[in-house]
Amino acid sequence: MYMRSNRFLQLVAIGLAGVAGLAAQEAPLPRGSVSINFKKDSPVTVVEMSQDSSSATARGAAIVLNLHMGFTLRNDSQSRIHGVMLRVVSQEATAGGKGSVTYPSLNVGPGEVFPVRIEMVLVRPTQAAGGPLAQVDLDGVLYQDLSFYGPDLLHSKRYLTACELEAQRDREYLKRVLAQSGKEGLRQTILQSGARQRQMDAAPLNVRVVRSGPSVTSAALPPEHPEKFAFVRFPDAPVDLVDGSAQISGNEARTPRIDVLNKSGKPVRYFELGWVLSDSSDHQSIAATLPSPERDLYLAPGKSASVLQETTLRLFSKTNQPANVQKMTGFISQVEFTDGKVWVPNRQNLELLGQMVPPSAEEQRLYNVYLKRNIEGLIEELKKF
Amino acid sequence: MNHPDQAALALYAGGDLGFWARWRVERHLAQCEGCGEEVAAFAAAREIVTDLAEIPDVSWNHLAAEMKANIRLGLAAGECVRMEKPLRDHPWFTGVRTVVALASIITLAVTGLVMEPHSRPHPIAQMDGHTVLQGIQNGIEVEGSGRAFRLMNTGATDVTFSVGAQGSMGARYVDPNTGQVTINNVYAE
Repeated sequence: MYMRSNRFLQLVAIGLAGVAGLAAQEAPLPRGSVSINFKKDSPVTVVEMSQDSSSATARGAAIVLNLHMGFTLRNDSQSRIHGVMLRVVSQEATAGGKGSVTYPSLNVGPGEVFPVRIEMVLVRPTQAAGGPLAQVDLDGVLYQDLSFYGPDLLHSKRYLTACELEAQRDREYLKRVLAQSGKEGLRQTILQSGARQRQMDAAPLNVRVVRSGPSVTSAALPPEHPEKFAFVRFPDAPVDLVDGSAQISGNEARTPRIDVLNKSGKPVRYFELGWVLSDSSDHQSIAATLPSPERDLYLAPGKSASVLQETTLRLFSKTNQPANVQKMTGFISQVEFTDGKVWVPNRQNLELLGQMVPPSAEEQRLYNVYLKRNIEGLIEELKKF
Repeated sequence: MNHPDQAALALYAGGDLGFWARWRVERHLAQCEGCGEEVAAFAAAREIVTDLAEIPDVSWNHLAAEMKANIRLGLAAGECVRMEKPLRDHPWFTGVRTVVALASIITLAVTGLVMEPHSRPHPIAQMDGHTVLQGIQNGIEVEGSGRAFRLMNTGATDVTFSVGAQGSMGARYVDPNTGQVTINNVYAE
Protein backbone atom coordinates (compact mmCIF):
# COMPACT_ATOMS: atom_id res chain seq x y z
CA MET A 1 0.00 0.00 0.00
CA TYR A 2 2.86 2.33 0.94
CA MET A 3 4.57 1.57 -2.39
CA ARG A 4 1.37 2.31 -4.30
CA SER A 5 1.02 5.71 -2.57
CA ASN A 6 4.64 6.49 -3.40
CA ARG A 7 4.11 5.76 -7.05
CA PHE A 8 0.98 7.89 -7.13
CA LEU A 9 2.94 10.82 -5.65
CA GLN A 10 5.64 10.28 -8.28
CA LEU A 11 3.02 10.53 -11.01
CA VAL A 12 1.61 13.75 -9.55
CA ALA A 13 5.13 15.21 -9.30
CA ILE A 14 5.86 14.38 -12.95
CA GLY A 15 2.57 16.00 -14.01
CA LEU A 16 3.28 19.17 -12.03
CA ALA A 17 6.79 19.38 -13.46
CA GLY A 18 5.36 19.11 -16.99
CA VAL A 19 2.81 21.88 -16.34
CA ALA A 20 5.52 24.08 -14.82
CA GLY A 21 7.71 23.49 -17.86
CA LEU A 22 4.93 24.50 -20.22
CA ALA A 23 4.09 27.57 -18.15
CA ALA A 24 7.73 28.64 -18.21
CA GLN A 25 7.56 28.95 -22.02
CA GLU A 26 4.63 31.37 -21.94
CA ALA A 27 5.26 35.08 -21.36
CA PRO A 28 3.07 38.20 -21.46
CA LEU A 29 3.53 40.49 -24.46
CA PRO A 30 5.16 43.88 -23.84
CA ARG A 31 3.22 47.11 -24.35
CA GLY A 32 3.75 48.49 -27.83
CA SER A 33 3.32 45.06 -29.43
CA VAL A 34 0.35 46.44 -31.32
CA SER A 35 0.43 49.76 -33.11
CA ILE A 36 -2.89 51.64 -33.46
CA ASN A 37 -2.88 54.16 -36.29
CA PHE A 38 -6.02 56.29 -36.42
CA LYS A 39 -5.55 59.57 -38.24
CA LYS A 40 -6.09 62.88 -36.47
CA ASP A 41 -9.28 63.59 -38.41
CA SER A 42 -10.66 60.10 -37.74
CA PRO A 43 -14.37 60.12 -36.77
CA VAL A 44 -13.69 57.36 -34.23
CA THR A 45 -11.05 57.48 -31.50
CA VAL A 46 -9.70 54.87 -29.11
CA VAL A 47 -10.91 55.66 -25.60
CA GLU A 48 -9.52 52.55 -23.98
CA MET A 49 -7.43 49.61 -25.05
CA SER A 50 -6.60 46.37 -23.30
CA GLN A 51 -4.33 43.50 -24.31
CA ASP A 52 -3.77 42.14 -20.81
CA SER A 53 -4.16 38.45 -21.54
CA SER A 54 -1.98 38.53 -24.67
CA SER A 55 0.98 36.19 -24.53
CA ALA A 56 3.85 34.66 -26.46
CA THR A 57 4.49 30.92 -26.37
CA ALA A 58 7.58 29.16 -27.72
CA ARG A 59 6.72 26.10 -29.75
CA GLY A 60 9.80 24.43 -31.22
CA ALA A 61 11.56 26.82 -33.59
CA ALA A 62 8.48 29.02 -33.82
CA ILE A 63 6.85 31.51 -31.51
CA VAL A 64 3.07 31.73 -31.20
CA LEU A 65 1.75 35.18 -30.30
CA ASN A 66 -1.79 35.32 -28.95
CA LEU A 67 -3.15 38.85 -29.18
CA HIS A 68 -6.40 39.48 -27.32
CA MET A 69 -7.26 43.10 -27.96
CA GLY A 70 -10.26 44.90 -26.55
CA PHE A 71 -11.01 48.48 -27.58
CA THR A 72 -13.56 51.04 -26.57
CA LEU A 73 -14.13 53.36 -29.54
CA ARG A 74 -15.99 56.69 -29.46
CA ASN A 75 -17.95 58.28 -32.27
CA ASP A 76 -16.45 61.76 -32.49
CA SER A 77 -18.42 62.68 -35.62
CA GLN A 78 -21.77 64.46 -35.89
CA SER A 79 -23.52 61.54 -37.61
CA ARG A 80 -24.70 58.10 -36.58
CA ILE A 81 -22.23 55.37 -37.46
CA HIS A 82 -23.67 52.20 -39.03
CA GLY A 83 -20.49 50.30 -39.87
CA VAL A 84 -16.75 50.19 -39.24
CA MET A 85 -13.95 48.21 -40.85
CA LEU A 86 -10.54 47.90 -39.20
CA ARG A 87 -7.53 46.78 -41.20
CA VAL A 88 -5.13 44.44 -39.40
CA VAL A 89 -1.70 44.04 -40.98
CA SER A 90 1.22 41.91 -39.90
CA GLN A 91 3.94 41.81 -42.54
CA GLU A 92 6.00 40.11 -39.87
CA ALA A 93 3.76 37.05 -39.84
CA THR A 94 3.16 36.31 -43.50
CA ALA A 95 4.48 38.13 -46.52
CA GLY A 96 1.52 40.13 -47.80
CA GLY A 97 -0.80 38.60 -45.19
CA LYS A 98 -3.48 40.92 -43.94
CA GLY A 99 -6.89 40.82 -42.44
CA SER A 100 -9.87 42.96 -41.64
CA VAL A 101 -12.39 43.00 -38.82
CA THR A 102 -15.73 44.49 -39.81
CA TYR A 103 -18.58 45.59 -37.57
CA PRO A 104 -21.71 46.05 -39.70
CA SER A 105 -25.19 46.79 -38.31
CA LEU A 106 -23.94 49.34 -35.76
CA ASN A 107 -26.12 52.19 -34.53
CA VAL A 108 -23.78 54.51 -32.66
CA GLY A 109 -24.80 58.12 -32.11
CA PRO A 110 -22.43 61.12 -31.85
CA GLY A 111 -20.40 60.99 -28.61
CA GLU A 112 -21.43 57.41 -27.87
CA VAL A 113 -18.90 54.65 -27.26
CA PHE A 114 -18.93 51.04 -28.46
CA PRO A 115 -16.73 48.03 -27.71
CA VAL A 116 -14.80 46.06 -30.33
CA ARG A 117 -12.63 43.00 -29.92
CA ILE A 118 -9.88 41.53 -32.08
CA GLU A 119 -8.54 38.04 -31.39
CA MET A 120 -5.42 37.37 -33.41
CA VAL A 121 -2.76 34.67 -33.48
CA LEU A 122 0.61 35.14 -35.19
CA VAL A 123 3.04 32.28 -35.77
CA ARG A 124 6.57 33.24 -36.77
CA PRO A 125 10.17 32.03 -36.43
CA THR A 126 11.70 32.83 -33.02
CA GLN A 127 14.52 34.89 -34.49
CA ALA A 128 12.27 37.36 -36.31
CA ALA A 129 13.01 41.09 -36.22
CA GLY A 130 11.64 43.39 -33.51
CA GLY A 131 9.05 46.18 -33.81
CA PRO A 132 5.25 46.09 -33.53
CA LEU A 133 3.75 42.68 -34.12
CA ALA A 134 0.60 44.03 -35.66
CA GLN A 135 -0.77 47.29 -36.92
CA VAL A 136 -4.43 48.23 -36.67
CA ASP A 137 -5.74 50.97 -38.99
CA LEU A 138 -9.17 52.35 -39.73
CA ASP A 139 -10.11 51.34 -43.28
CA GLY A 140 -13.56 52.86 -43.32
CA VAL A 141 -16.58 54.21 -41.46
CA LEU A 142 -20.10 54.19 -42.93
CA TYR A 143 -22.69 56.64 -41.66
CA GLN A 144 -26.45 56.30 -41.49
CA ASP A 145 -26.88 58.35 -44.69
CA LEU A 146 -24.43 56.01 -46.51
CA SER A 147 -21.71 58.65 -46.61
CA PHE A 148 -18.25 57.31 -45.96
CA TYR A 149 -14.92 58.14 -44.35
CA GLY A 150 -11.65 56.26 -44.75
CA PRO A 151 -8.75 55.29 -47.01
CA ASP A 152 -10.83 52.38 -48.38
CA LEU A 153 -7.80 50.19 -49.08
CA LEU A 154 -9.86 47.01 -48.61
CA HIS A 155 -12.96 48.32 -50.46
CA SER A 156 -14.71 48.81 -47.15
CA LYS A 157 -17.02 51.43 -48.68
CA ARG A 158 -18.62 48.91 -51.04
CA TYR A 159 -18.57 46.15 -48.42
CA LEU A 160 -20.14 48.22 -45.63
CA THR A 161 -22.66 49.79 -48.02
CA ALA A 162 -23.82 46.36 -49.22
CA CYS A 163 -24.13 45.20 -45.59
CA GLU A 164 -26.12 48.31 -44.68
CA LEU A 165 -28.48 47.94 -47.66
CA GLU A 166 -29.10 44.30 -46.72
CA ALA A 167 -29.70 45.37 -43.10
CA GLN A 168 -32.21 48.04 -44.15
CA ARG A 169 -33.95 45.54 -46.45
CA ASP A 170 -34.28 42.90 -43.72
CA ARG A 171 -35.39 45.32 -40.99
CA GLU A 172 -38.10 46.69 -43.30
CA TYR A 173 -39.21 43.14 -44.11
CA LEU A 174 -39.46 42.19 -40.42
CA LYS A 175 -41.36 45.40 -39.62
CA ARG A 176 -43.78 44.54 -42.43
CA VAL A 177 -44.25 41.03 -41.05
CA LEU A 178 -44.94 42.49 -37.59
CA ALA A 179 -47.52 44.91 -39.02
CA GLN A 180 -49.27 42.22 -41.07
CA SER A 181 -48.98 39.08 -38.89
CA GLY A 182 -48.33 40.42 -35.40
CA LYS A 183 -45.87 39.17 -32.81
CA GLU A 184 -46.47 35.51 -33.62
CA GLY A 185 -45.78 36.08 -37.31
CA LEU A 186 -42.56 37.92 -36.43
CA ARG A 187 -41.55 35.11 -34.07
CA GLN A 188 -42.08 32.48 -36.78
CA THR A 189 -40.11 34.51 -39.33
CA ILE A 190 -37.10 35.08 -37.07
CA LEU A 191 -37.12 31.41 -36.04
CA GLN A 192 -37.08 30.41 -39.72
CA SER A 193 -34.09 32.69 -40.17
CA GLY A 194 -32.27 30.96 -37.29
CA ALA A 195 -33.13 27.57 -38.76
CA ARG A 196 -31.70 28.62 -42.14
CA GLN A 197 -28.51 29.77 -40.42
CA ARG A 198 -28.11 26.39 -38.72
CA GLN A 199 -28.90 24.62 -41.99
CA MET A 200 -26.09 26.51 -43.71
CA ASP A 201 -23.69 25.62 -40.91
CA ALA A 202 -24.62 21.96 -41.33
CA ALA A 203 -24.40 22.03 -45.16
CA PRO A 204 -23.33 18.58 -46.41
CA LEU A 205 -20.73 19.94 -48.82
CA ASN A 206 -17.58 22.00 -48.53
CA VAL A 207 -15.63 23.83 -51.18
CA ARG A 208 -11.94 24.51 -51.59
CA VAL A 209 -10.70 27.15 -53.94
CA VAL A 210 -7.41 27.08 -55.78
CA ARG A 211 -6.33 30.23 -57.54
CA SER A 212 -4.95 30.13 -61.06
CA GLY A 213 -4.37 27.23 -63.38
CA PRO A 214 -5.34 23.56 -63.25
CA SER A 215 -5.02 21.84 -59.92
CA VAL A 216 -2.36 19.28 -59.05
CA THR A 217 -4.90 16.46 -58.77
CA SER A 218 -6.15 16.85 -62.33
CA ALA A 219 -4.09 13.92 -63.61
CA ALA A 220 -6.06 11.55 -61.38
CA LEU A 221 -9.41 12.93 -62.49
CA PRO A 222 -11.56 12.02 -65.48
CA PRO A 223 -11.14 14.17 -68.61
CA GLU A 224 -12.71 17.60 -68.18
CA HIS A 225 -15.66 18.82 -70.17
CA PRO A 226 -17.41 22.18 -70.40
CA GLU A 227 -20.55 22.49 -68.27
CA LYS A 228 -22.99 25.37 -68.55
CA PHE A 229 -24.19 27.39 -65.58
CA ALA A 230 -27.82 27.30 -64.59
CA PHE A 231 -28.66 30.92 -63.77
CA VAL A 232 -31.13 32.26 -61.25
CA ARG A 233 -32.15 35.57 -62.81
CA PHE A 234 -33.55 38.48 -60.83
CA PRO A 235 -35.91 40.74 -62.81
CA ASP A 236 -34.66 43.94 -61.13
CA ALA A 237 -30.93 43.14 -61.29
CA PRO A 238 -29.00 45.85 -63.18
CA VAL A 239 -26.70 43.21 -64.67
CA ASP A 240 -28.02 40.11 -66.40
CA LEU A 241 -26.15 36.84 -66.70
CA VAL A 242 -26.26 35.91 -70.38
CA ASP A 243 -24.15 32.79 -70.62
CA GLY A 244 -21.51 30.99 -68.65
CA SER A 245 -19.63 27.76 -68.37
CA ALA A 246 -16.74 26.13 -66.55
CA GLN A 247 -14.55 23.08 -67.14
CA ILE A 248 -15.76 20.16 -65.01
CA SER A 249 -13.73 17.12 -64.08
CA GLY A 250 -14.70 14.89 -61.18
CA ASN A 251 -14.95 17.08 -58.09
CA GLU A 252 -13.37 20.10 -59.78
CA ALA A 253 -14.92 23.06 -61.57
CA ARG A 254 -12.28 25.19 -63.23
CA THR A 255 -11.88 28.51 -65.01
CA PRO A 256 -15.42 29.89 -65.01
CA ARG A 257 -16.31 32.23 -67.87
CA ILE A 258 -19.34 34.46 -67.50
CA ASP A 259 -20.97 36.71 -70.11
CA VAL A 260 -22.91 39.59 -68.62
CA LEU A 261 -25.08 42.39 -69.96
CA ASN A 262 -25.53 45.75 -68.24
CA LYS A 263 -29.25 46.35 -68.66
CA SER A 264 -29.28 49.41 -66.39
CA GLY A 265 -28.87 53.03 -67.42
CA LYS A 266 -25.61 53.51 -65.47
CA PRO A 267 -22.09 52.22 -66.01
CA VAL A 268 -21.04 49.36 -63.74
CA ARG A 269 -17.55 49.03 -62.22
CA TYR A 270 -17.98 45.89 -60.13
CA PHE A 271 -20.28 42.93 -59.79
CA GLU A 272 -20.21 39.79 -57.73
CA LEU A 273 -21.57 36.39 -58.63
CA GLY A 274 -22.73 33.74 -56.18
CA TRP A 275 -21.45 30.40 -57.49
CA VAL A 276 -23.21 27.33 -56.11
CA LEU A 277 -22.11 23.75 -56.81
CA SER A 278 -24.31 20.67 -56.44
CA ASP A 279 -23.21 17.05 -56.21
CA SER A 280 -24.94 14.00 -57.69
CA SER A 281 -27.24 13.79 -54.62
CA ASP A 282 -28.34 17.38 -55.35
CA HIS A 283 -26.66 18.59 -52.17
CA GLN A 284 -25.87 22.24 -52.63
CA SER A 285 -23.02 24.33 -51.34
CA ILE A 286 -22.60 28.10 -51.51
CA ALA A 287 -19.25 27.75 -53.13
CA ALA A 288 -17.76 31.17 -53.45
CA THR A 289 -18.35 34.72 -54.43
CA LEU A 290 -16.92 35.31 -57.85
CA PRO A 291 -15.96 38.96 -58.14
CA SER A 292 -15.34 40.77 -61.37
CA PRO A 293 -11.76 42.02 -61.82
CA GLU A 294 -11.20 45.06 -59.60
CA ARG A 295 -9.30 47.27 -62.04
CA ASP A 296 -10.35 46.29 -65.51
CA LEU A 297 -14.15 46.42 -65.51
CA TYR A 298 -16.08 49.30 -66.95
CA LEU A 299 -19.39 48.08 -68.25
CA ALA A 300 -21.32 50.80 -70.06
CA PRO A 301 -25.15 50.72 -70.21
CA GLY A 302 -26.42 48.20 -72.77
CA LYS A 303 -22.98 46.66 -73.24
CA SER A 304 -21.96 43.10 -72.55
CA ALA A 305 -18.65 41.66 -71.45
CA SER A 306 -17.00 38.35 -70.71
CA VAL A 307 -15.36 37.76 -67.37
CA LEU A 308 -12.89 34.93 -66.94
CA GLN A 309 -11.51 33.83 -63.58
CA GLU A 310 -8.46 31.57 -63.29
CA THR A 311 -9.97 29.73 -60.36
CA THR A 312 -10.57 26.10 -59.52
CA LEU A 313 -13.25 25.01 -57.09
CA ARG A 314 -13.12 21.56 -55.52
CA LEU A 315 -16.15 20.00 -53.92
CA PHE A 316 -15.87 17.81 -50.82
CA SER A 317 -18.27 16.08 -48.49
CA LYS A 318 -18.31 16.79 -44.76
CA THR A 319 -16.14 13.71 -44.31
CA ASN A 320 -13.61 15.27 -46.67
CA GLN A 321 -14.32 12.86 -49.54
CA PRO A 322 -14.33 14.30 -53.09
CA ALA A 323 -17.90 14.87 -54.30
CA ASN A 324 -18.43 14.98 -58.04
CA VAL A 325 -19.70 18.25 -59.43
CA GLN A 326 -23.06 17.62 -61.06
CA LYS A 327 -24.54 21.09 -61.47
CA MET A 328 -23.50 24.74 -61.17
CA THR A 329 -25.83 27.59 -60.37
CA GLY A 330 -24.96 31.27 -60.57
CA PHE A 331 -26.74 34.45 -59.54
CA ILE A 332 -25.84 38.12 -59.26
CA SER A 333 -25.26 38.92 -55.59
CA GLN A 334 -23.95 42.50 -55.77
CA VAL A 335 -23.43 45.31 -58.28
CA GLU A 336 -21.57 48.60 -57.83
CA PHE A 337 -22.04 51.48 -60.25
CA THR A 338 -19.35 53.97 -61.11
CA ASP A 339 -21.16 56.61 -59.01
CA GLY A 340 -20.59 54.44 -55.89
CA LYS A 341 -24.21 53.25 -55.58
CA VAL A 342 -24.62 49.58 -54.72
CA TRP A 343 -27.37 47.10 -55.65
CA VAL A 344 -28.19 43.98 -53.60
CA PRO A 345 -30.96 41.39 -54.21
CA ASN A 346 -34.36 42.13 -52.62
CA ARG A 347 -36.42 39.73 -50.47
CA GLN A 348 -38.36 38.39 -53.48
CA ASN A 349 -35.05 37.58 -55.16
CA LEU A 350 -33.86 35.77 -52.06
CA GLU A 351 -37.01 33.63 -52.11
CA LEU A 352 -36.01 32.47 -55.60
CA LEU A 353 -32.71 31.28 -54.15
CA GLY A 354 -34.42 29.26 -51.43
CA GLN A 355 -31.91 27.69 -49.05
CA MET A 356 -28.84 28.47 -51.16
CA VAL A 357 -27.78 31.60 -49.27
CA PRO A 358 -27.37 32.20 -45.52
CA PRO A 359 -29.31 34.92 -43.70
CA SER A 360 -27.75 38.39 -43.82
CA ALA A 361 -25.51 39.75 -41.05
CA GLU A 362 -28.45 41.83 -39.77
CA GLU A 363 -30.77 38.80 -39.66
CA GLN A 364 -28.08 36.95 -37.71
CA ARG A 365 -27.83 39.86 -35.25
CA LEU A 366 -31.61 40.20 -34.85
CA TYR A 367 -31.98 36.45 -34.30
CA ASN A 368 -29.40 36.77 -31.53
CA VAL A 369 -31.38 39.69 -30.05
CA TYR A 370 -34.51 37.48 -30.08
CA LEU A 371 -32.65 34.65 -28.32
CA LYS A 372 -31.44 37.01 -25.57
CA ARG A 373 -34.39 39.38 -25.15
CA ASN A 374 -37.34 37.46 -26.61
CA ILE A 375 -39.94 38.91 -29.00
CA GLU A 376 -40.42 42.16 -27.05
CA GLY A 377 -36.66 42.82 -27.21
CA LEU A 378 -36.67 42.20 -30.96
CA ILE A 379 -39.57 44.61 -31.53
CA GLU A 380 -37.80 47.23 -29.40
CA GLU A 381 -34.62 46.76 -31.46
CA LEU A 382 -36.52 47.17 -34.75
CA LYS A 383 -38.02 50.44 -33.50
CA LYS A 384 -34.52 51.93 -33.02
CA PHE A 385 -34.06 52.14 -36.79
CA MET B 1 -27.98 -65.20 -64.73
CA ASN B 2 -27.26 -63.11 -61.64
CA HIS B 3 -23.75 -61.60 -61.78
CA PRO B 4 -21.80 -60.68 -58.63
CA ASP B 5 -21.47 -56.89 -58.11
CA GLN B 6 -18.25 -54.97 -58.90
CA ALA B 7 -17.22 -54.76 -55.23
CA ALA B 8 -17.42 -58.55 -54.81
CA LEU B 9 -15.33 -59.09 -57.98
CA ALA B 10 -12.69 -56.54 -56.79
CA LEU B 11 -12.48 -58.17 -53.37
CA TYR B 12 -12.19 -61.57 -54.97
CA ALA B 13 -9.30 -60.39 -57.17
CA GLY B 14 -7.47 -59.25 -54.03
CA GLY B 15 -8.23 -62.45 -52.11
CA ASP B 16 -10.22 -60.52 -49.55
CA LEU B 17 -13.60 -62.32 -49.77
CA GLY B 18 -14.89 -64.65 -47.06
CA PHE B 19 -15.14 -68.38 -47.53
CA TRP B 20 -18.78 -68.65 -48.66
CA ALA B 21 -18.67 -65.50 -50.84
CA ARG B 22 -15.46 -66.69 -52.53
CA TRP B 23 -17.06 -70.09 -53.24
CA ARG B 24 -20.14 -68.46 -54.81
CA VAL B 25 -17.97 -66.11 -56.99
CA GLU B 26 -15.74 -69.00 -58.10
CA ARG B 27 -18.81 -71.03 -59.17
CA HIS B 28 -20.07 -68.05 -61.14
CA LEU B 29 -16.67 -67.37 -62.80
CA ALA B 30 -16.58 -70.96 -64.00
CA GLN B 31 -19.63 -70.22 -66.14
CA CYS B 32 -19.19 -66.46 -66.96
CA GLU B 33 -16.35 -65.18 -69.16
CA GLY B 34 -17.34 -61.52 -68.74
CA CYS B 35 -16.96 -61.55 -64.97
CA GLY B 36 -13.69 -63.52 -65.38
CA GLU B 37 -12.33 -60.64 -67.51
CA GLU B 38 -13.45 -58.13 -64.86
CA VAL B 39 -11.57 -60.04 -62.17
CA ALA B 40 -8.46 -60.14 -64.40
CA ALA B 41 -8.66 -56.36 -64.89
CA PHE B 42 -8.98 -55.75 -61.10
CA ALA B 43 -5.98 -58.03 -60.52
CA ALA B 44 -3.88 -56.08 -63.07
CA ALA B 45 -4.83 -52.76 -61.50
CA ARG B 46 -3.90 -54.08 -58.09
CA GLU B 47 -0.38 -54.88 -59.32
CA ILE B 48 0.07 -51.31 -60.59
CA VAL B 49 -1.08 -49.87 -57.25
CA THR B 50 1.38 -52.17 -55.46
CA ASP B 51 4.23 -50.77 -57.59
CA LEU B 52 3.15 -47.21 -56.78
CA ALA B 53 3.06 -48.06 -53.10
CA GLU B 54 6.77 -48.73 -53.10
CA ILE B 55 7.73 -45.38 -51.50
CA PRO B 56 10.20 -44.98 -48.61
CA ASP B 57 8.75 -46.41 -45.46
CA VAL B 58 7.32 -43.91 -42.97
CA SER B 59 7.25 -44.83 -39.34
CA TRP B 60 3.75 -43.63 -38.45
CA ASN B 61 4.03 -44.75 -34.88
CA HIS B 62 7.26 -42.80 -34.40
CA LEU B 63 5.70 -39.73 -35.97
CA ALA B 64 2.65 -39.96 -33.72
CA ALA B 65 4.83 -40.31 -30.62
CA GLU B 66 6.83 -37.22 -31.58
CA MET B 67 3.66 -35.15 -32.07
CA LYS B 68 2.31 -36.23 -28.69
CA ALA B 69 5.61 -35.20 -27.04
CA ASN B 70 5.44 -31.76 -28.64
CA ILE B 71 1.87 -31.24 -27.43
CA ARG B 72 2.88 -32.21 -23.89
CA LEU B 73 5.83 -29.80 -24.05
CA GLY B 74 3.52 -26.98 -25.11
CA LEU B 75 1.10 -27.68 -22.30
CA ALA B 76 3.97 -27.79 -19.77
CA ALA B 77 5.28 -24.45 -21.02
CA GLY B 78 1.79 -22.97 -20.67
CA GLU B 79 1.66 -24.12 -17.08
CA CYS B 80 5.01 -22.42 -16.37
CA VAL B 81 3.92 -18.97 -17.63
CA ARG B 82 0.33 -19.08 -16.30
CA MET B 83 -0.26 -16.56 -13.47
CA GLU B 84 -1.38 -17.96 -10.16
CA LYS B 85 -4.09 -15.30 -9.77
CA PRO B 86 -6.68 -14.35 -12.36
CA LEU B 87 -5.78 -11.15 -14.30
CA ARG B 88 -8.53 -9.13 -12.61
CA ASP B 89 -6.92 -9.86 -9.18
CA HIS B 90 -3.46 -8.70 -10.28
CA PRO B 91 -2.24 -5.60 -8.40
CA TRP B 92 -1.86 -3.76 -11.73
CA PHE B 93 -5.62 -3.73 -12.00
CA THR B 94 -6.41 -2.57 -8.48
CA GLY B 95 -6.26 0.60 -6.42
CA VAL B 96 -4.56 3.71 -7.73
CA ARG B 97 -3.65 2.08 -11.03
CA THR B 98 -7.27 1.38 -11.80
CA VAL B 99 -8.12 5.01 -11.03
CA VAL B 100 -5.25 6.25 -13.22
CA ALA B 101 -6.30 3.95 -16.06
CA LEU B 102 -9.93 5.08 -15.82
CA ALA B 103 -8.87 8.74 -15.61
CA SER B 104 -6.73 8.27 -18.73
CA ILE B 105 -9.63 6.73 -20.62
CA ILE B 106 -11.98 9.54 -19.51
CA THR B 107 -9.36 12.17 -20.45
CA LEU B 108 -8.96 10.55 -23.86
CA ALA B 109 -12.72 10.51 -24.41
CA VAL B 110 -13.15 14.14 -23.26
CA THR B 111 -10.19 15.24 -25.41
CA GLY B 112 -11.74 13.45 -28.36
CA LEU B 113 -15.04 15.27 -27.80
CA VAL B 114 -13.30 18.64 -27.40
CA MET B 115 -11.15 18.09 -30.48
CA GLU B 116 -14.04 16.72 -32.53
CA PRO B 117 -14.79 19.99 -34.35
CA HIS B 118 -11.25 19.75 -35.79
CA SER B 119 -12.47 16.90 -37.93
CA ARG B 120 -15.05 19.09 -39.53
CA PRO B 121 -13.55 20.31 -42.76
CA HIS B 122 -13.79 24.01 -43.51
CA PRO B 123 -13.42 25.64 -46.90
CA ILE B 124 -9.80 25.90 -47.90
CA ALA B 125 -8.36 28.15 -50.54
CA GLN B 126 -4.83 27.41 -51.66
CA MET B 127 -2.86 30.18 -53.25
CA ASP B 128 0.07 29.75 -55.62
CA GLY B 129 1.19 26.56 -53.91
CA HIS B 130 2.75 28.36 -50.93
CA THR B 131 0.22 30.52 -49.15
CA VAL B 132 -2.89 28.79 -47.90
CA LEU B 133 -6.15 30.35 -46.78
CA GLN B 134 -8.20 28.07 -44.63
CA GLY B 135 -10.81 27.73 -41.98
CA ILE B 136 -9.39 26.36 -38.73
CA GLN B 137 -10.81 25.55 -35.31
CA ASN B 138 -12.33 28.83 -34.02
CA GLY B 139 -10.95 30.97 -36.81
CA ILE B 140 -9.51 31.53 -40.26
CA GLU B 141 -5.86 31.81 -41.24
CA VAL B 142 -3.46 32.71 -43.99
CA GLU B 143 -0.39 30.52 -43.70
CA GLY B 144 2.84 30.00 -45.59
CA SER B 145 6.55 29.27 -45.10
CA GLY B 146 6.20 28.46 -41.40
CA ARG B 147 4.40 31.73 -40.65
CA ALA B 148 0.72 32.18 -39.99
CA PHE B 149 -1.75 35.01 -39.45
CA ARG B 150 -5.03 34.02 -37.82
CA LEU B 151 -8.17 35.91 -36.89
CA MET B 152 -10.07 34.02 -34.23
CA ASN B 153 -13.77 33.79 -33.36
CA THR B 154 -13.31 32.11 -30.00
CA GLY B 155 -16.52 31.28 -28.17
CA ALA B 156 -18.77 32.10 -31.11
CA THR B 157 -21.43 29.72 -32.38
CA ASP B 158 -23.16 29.72 -35.76
CA VAL B 159 -20.13 30.90 -37.72
CA THR B 160 -20.76 31.43 -41.45
CA PHE B 161 -17.69 30.94 -43.62
CA SER B 162 -17.32 32.55 -47.03
CA VAL B 163 -14.75 32.21 -49.78
CA GLY B 164 -13.80 34.87 -52.30
CA ALA B 165 -12.51 33.36 -55.52
CA GLN B 166 -9.89 36.09 -55.84
CA GLY B 167 -8.19 35.03 -52.60
CA SER B 168 -10.02 35.83 -49.39
CA MET B 169 -11.79 33.96 -46.67
CA GLY B 170 -14.33 35.27 -44.19
CA ALA B 171 -15.97 34.17 -40.94
CA ARG B 172 -19.13 35.91 -39.74
CA TYR B 173 -20.45 35.49 -36.19
CA VAL B 174 -22.07 37.25 -33.28
CA ASP B 175 -19.35 38.12 -30.75
CA PRO B 176 -20.41 36.51 -27.45
CA ASN B 177 -18.75 39.32 -25.45
CA THR B 178 -19.95 42.42 -27.29
CA GLY B 179 -23.14 41.00 -28.91
CA GLN B 180 -22.10 42.62 -32.20
CA VAL B 181 -22.02 40.95 -35.57
CA THR B 182 -18.35 40.66 -36.47
CA ILE B 183 -16.92 39.68 -39.85
CA ASN B 184 -13.29 38.59 -39.94
CA ASN B 185 -11.56 38.40 -43.30
CA VAL B 186 -8.07 37.26 -44.21
CA TYR B 187 -6.53 38.01 -47.59
CA ALA B 188 -3.64 36.52 -49.51
CA GLU B 189 -2.53 39.00 -52.12
